[in-house]
Amino acid sequence: MPLITVNSIIKEYETAHALRGVSMEVKKGEWVNIMGASGSGKSTLLNIIGGLDSATSGDVIIDSVNIEKLSEDELAVFRREKIGIIFQQAHLIPYLTAVENVMIAQYFHSMADESEAKEALQRVGLGQRLSHRPSQLSGGEQQRICIARALINSPELLLADEPTGNLDRENTKMILELLKKLHSEDHFTIVLVTHDHFVSTHGDRILTMEDGHIIRDEPVNDLRS
Amino acid sequence: MKRRWFLYFFKRSLSQRKGRVAIASLAVVLAVSIITSMISITSGVREKLGSELKAYGSNIIVSPGRGSSFPFETAEAIRRIDDVEYAVGQVFTTARLGKESIEIIGLDIAKLREAGWRVSGEWPQKEGEVLAGANLKAALKIKPDEIVSLEGGRGRTDFRVSGFVERGGAEDNAVIMPMASAWRLAGVNGVLNAVLVRGRAGGLDNLVSEIKRGLPEVSVKTFRQVASAEESLLSKMQLLMSLVTIVVLFAAAISVASTMGANILERREEIGLMKAIGATGSGIRIFYLAEALLVGFIGGTAGFILGVASAQAVSRGAFGSFIPAQWYLPLASLIIGLVISAGASYFPVRDVLKYNPAVILREE
Repeated sequence: MPLITVNSIIKEYETAHALRGVSMEVKKGEWVNIMGASGSGKSTLLNIIGGLDSATSGDVIIDSVNIEKLSEDELAVFRREKIGIIFQQAHLIPYLTAVENVMIAQYFHSMADESEAKEALQRVGLGQRLSHRPSQLSGGEQQRICIARALINSPELLLADEPTGNLDRENTKMILELLKKLHSEDHFTIVLVTHDHFVSTHGDRILTMEDGHIIRDEPVNDLRS
Repeated sequence: MKRRWFLYFFKRSLSQRKGRVAIASLAVVLAVSIITSMISITSGVREKLGSELKAYGSNIIVSPGRGSSFPFETAEAIRRIDDVEYAVGQVFTTARLGKESIEIIGLDIAKLREAGWRVSGEWPQKEGEVLAGANLKAALKIKPDEIVSLEGGRGRTDFRVSGFVERGGAEDNAVIMPMASAWRLAGVNGVLNAVLVRGRAGGLDNLVSEIKRGLPEVSVKTFRQVASAEESLLSKMQLLMSLVTIVVLFAAAISVASTMGANILERREEIGLMKAIGATGSGIRIFYLAEALLVGFIGGTAGFILGVASAQAVSRGAFGSFIPAQWYLPLASLIIGLVISAGASYFPVRDVLKYNPAVILREE
């Protein structure tokens, strides 16, 4: 049984169609990359899967729950229990330190635990930067805090929207290696949006989007070969 | 435990955003101080203006019902009635000053001071000192400290003119002297020709009835024009002050709302992020409401102190005395501070929360 089932999702804005009836499935433990040009609808699809945006019509079923039917607060609770999100921009709270930015996700989930938050930052290689504020860290370091924050509550599903979009090649490799390592250790499901071919060669499957449709669904191995 | 972490993040937010919190608090301090000051002045203005109006004269005249005089004690009896602000017994006589016949008014000089009369020069301090009306001063070219020789029923007596009064009434054409001097000059003792009474504005009809009930042998009349003009002035002044207070309240609330609203809009990304990582609406609102309540508490407390101080300064400047403290003002100031601050924060947060996190974070 798939962890994520997307059925005929349509997303219309006042002047444009972002998604024109998208359907897809993602198995538990799978790493799926969504590729496409800018404006193809890939980030919109990811936001709808994460409950960060709502669809005009269609269903998104995650772990047997149709999240399109949930209220705002039910959705927030569902998100904190099941989903971790990595954004293109780290979106860290500027007045909190690295460890506090991780702890705030714990606080909204259940209870803040400083030692767990420190451990999470150590896992992403920021053990020496615990008390630094975002403005004192590089883009790659900020992104690693964002990853630690996304994983701190042990989600089943990790959604990543262009997680390396603002990073140079070296930091991109570092983040991808980190995601690979965490994915192999913890076996959570990953849906990652990118327009970078290099990034898309990591993981299990690639969905390619164009003009609000999924036009291709292929294993990463085929692409590599 | 959850509360402990709430307080932890709350304190972190405050300590790292001291400047913003200070600006928001200052906006509330200014708003509350202006409102508190206006409420304080509005509450005190009736009393203050009332006492100022005392100086414009009496509003009731009590005269003998039969004959031309009544006993001196009549004034004392009237003074004991509630709602009488002052009662001044008067004795009228005439005397000759050179070739001119002039009016003499004898009364209790201490009561005039109490009634708020204003004198240029000095008040009579001792026997033989008098005040001259402004018209008399001009007509007879009387100088300060001049000795005038008045001839009454009991012969000639010299008086020193210590000061002058100008009230726009009969007093301006007369010499005003202590009661005992007037009695001596007229050759009478222990009698009054009239008692001028000032009753509290708004209760004159009741006061007239009460005087008549207590002293059936006297005639009591109100100076209708004075009484109604005063009442109308006081009512209009209080209405005006109340309206200005309401306008100020709105203006202050808008100013606080724009300052705190800007603060919230600046933190849209933070709100969007909290929502994205699983915070519920109430979980987010409580963070911002707690900060707003703290700002409201600081603003309400400091605003009360500043508002009362400025109201007292205004009162001191305008009326020469302080406004009595209103018991409800500290609580009212605190509530105003808390309500405008919480309101100014609640609505922008509610508006931001209406958006999906994706929309908020995409904008940042």
